Amino acid sequence: MQLLTEIRIAGFGGQGVILAAAVIGKAAAIFHGAHAAMTQSFGPEARGGSSSAQVILSTEPILYPYVTQPDVLVVMSQEAYTRFAPGLKPGGILITEQDMVRVDKYPTGVRAFGVPATRLAEELGRKLVLNIVMVGFFGAVTNLLDPDALRKAVADSVPPATQKLNLEAFDKGFTYGDRLLTRLAGNGDHEEALSLESA
Amino acid sequence: MQKQLTKGNEAIVKAAVLAGCRAFYGYPITPASEIAEAAALYLPQAGGVFLQAESEVAAANMLYGAAAAGVRCMSASSGPGISLMQEGFSYIAGAELPCVVADIMRGGPGLGNIAPEQGDYNQIVKGGGHGNYRTLVLAPDSVQEMADLTTWAFDLADQYRNPVVVLADGYIGQMMEPVEFAPPIAVPRPPEWAVTGTAATRHNLVASIYLEPDLLERHIRKLEAKYRQAEREAARAECRRTEDAEIILVGYGITARVLKAVVEQARSRGLAVGLLRPITLYPFPVAQIRELSRRAKAFVVVEMSTGQLVDDVRLALEGRVPVEFFSRVGGNVPSAEEVLAFLEQKFAASLEPPAGQLEEVLVHG
Repeated sequence: MQLLTEIRIAGFGGQGVILAAAVIGKAAAIFHGAHAAMTQSFGPEARGGSSSAQVILSTEPILYPYVTQPDVLVVMSQEAYTRFAPGLKPGGILITEQDMVRVDKYPTGVRAFGVPATRLAEELGRKLVLNIVMVGFFGAVTNLLDPDALRKAVADSVPPATQKLNLEAFDKGFTYGDRLLTRLAGNGDHEEALSLESA
Repeated sequence: MQKQLTKGNEAIVKAAVLAGCRAFYGYPITPASEIAEAAALYLPQAGGVFLQAESEVAAANMLYGAAAAGVRCMSASSGPGISLMQEGFSYIAGAELPCVVADIMRGGPGLGNIAPEQGDYNQIVKGGGHGNYRTLVLAPDSVQEMADLTTWAFDLADQYRNPVVVLADGYIGQMMEPVEFAPPIAVPRPPEWAVTGTAATRHNLVASIYLEPDLLERHIRKLEAKYRQAEREAARAECRRTEDAEIILVGYGITARVLKAVVEQARSRGLAVGLLRPITLYPFPVAQIRELSRRAKAFVVVEMSTGQLVDDVRLALEGRVPVEFFSRVGGNVPSAEEVLAFLEQKFAASLEPPAGQLEEVLVHG
């Protein structure tokens, strides 16, 4: 992990944006031996409205817990993409729910990765776990945190009855990301790899 | 205990239960609602009482009753809800009963908004209810402190037999950070002054009424002496890089977190800046501020109000050093960059690049 990494996760209410951020924060602060602070938007928003959360991961105690220009942006809705993509740090990582977000032109100097998280979650029988699929994918493509720490954080953050399902969701997202990276390394063409649908 | 990633509002409740709190009365309001939500979960689990009152006025009076029974008890609210509770706080302070209240400040006046602000400093620190009383006020700047200061609040409340307010803002309340909670304590037995419905406590009287002026004066003098004692004993502040600081920043809550970043950034630009963060807003850390004024050339107060904390800093300094003031309001949190720009504008004269940086410029030039 670099000294300070700012992450923003955004989508609409009901997608589990806040939990995804909490899992990443927990993985860093409790299971990875680093520091983390998470903040979230709170407002008169209902299910279906916009939702966003910010996590700061750091090797040092965090002074100012506010994300100004994220290094990593995870977006799960078109609205979230439109609103937050301009704020992504140059050279940062953009992660999209590729069925929910259509990107006409990628911001320059950004490494972009797409995943059909909702579809992968549906394959597991529960659309609800798309956020954990996203966390798995995030873990693979950013390589910021020990995958085992992320996995433990998932297990620790969900109700016991859904633990198995959520861990499957995590693994599915992680594997998808891992294979995408392998493919990218193989053909060296980022844009082309992005357009490849799930194998 | 292992660290837990916890939301600020939830940390208050967990710490309260671990500190022996067994009664919560409240009414939900953003951005304090998670306190009531967590209390509804954890208080019954611990064998305690959670009660959502019909209004904040009722909640404050339920708190009065529980405190009279000698139970460690608390409530929580924000802005408009706290305003409604102030009558009750005055009665509780007048009757010399301990209780803890969490106030998670939002934007005001009126309905304002639900974003973080610090405009209720005067309301809480100066006592928003009627009469000659004070509440002791603690100001956490992290989720760890939301827990630690809640624990301390219960001890202070018992020690001074007075309401103690944990005053935070919507930002600290909503933020998640790792927290290590203190081990649980055994629930304290009701003190000898409590009214518990037994024969032994039959003659205990809980009241704030003294119809005879001489008796009320004596009572008020007693309260006053208690507050003077707290001023001598309980004031606390965190000092950061103040040893050689010429400019002392002062701020509390989320503002202090911003200022901690400002201190580091200003230092790297050659400004000798330090931070004094009041942890107790009442009693106010007057002695610590005066001590720093012996070396400092200026104080800069930053807060999310149009100027409330700054008055206490000015009173503490008694004109010894100039005081500058920077604020954002309405739910906006000042950014480190804008505070830094303010400092550079005010203190440009003392801004000289340190030797190392100058060399670098020369090499690359």
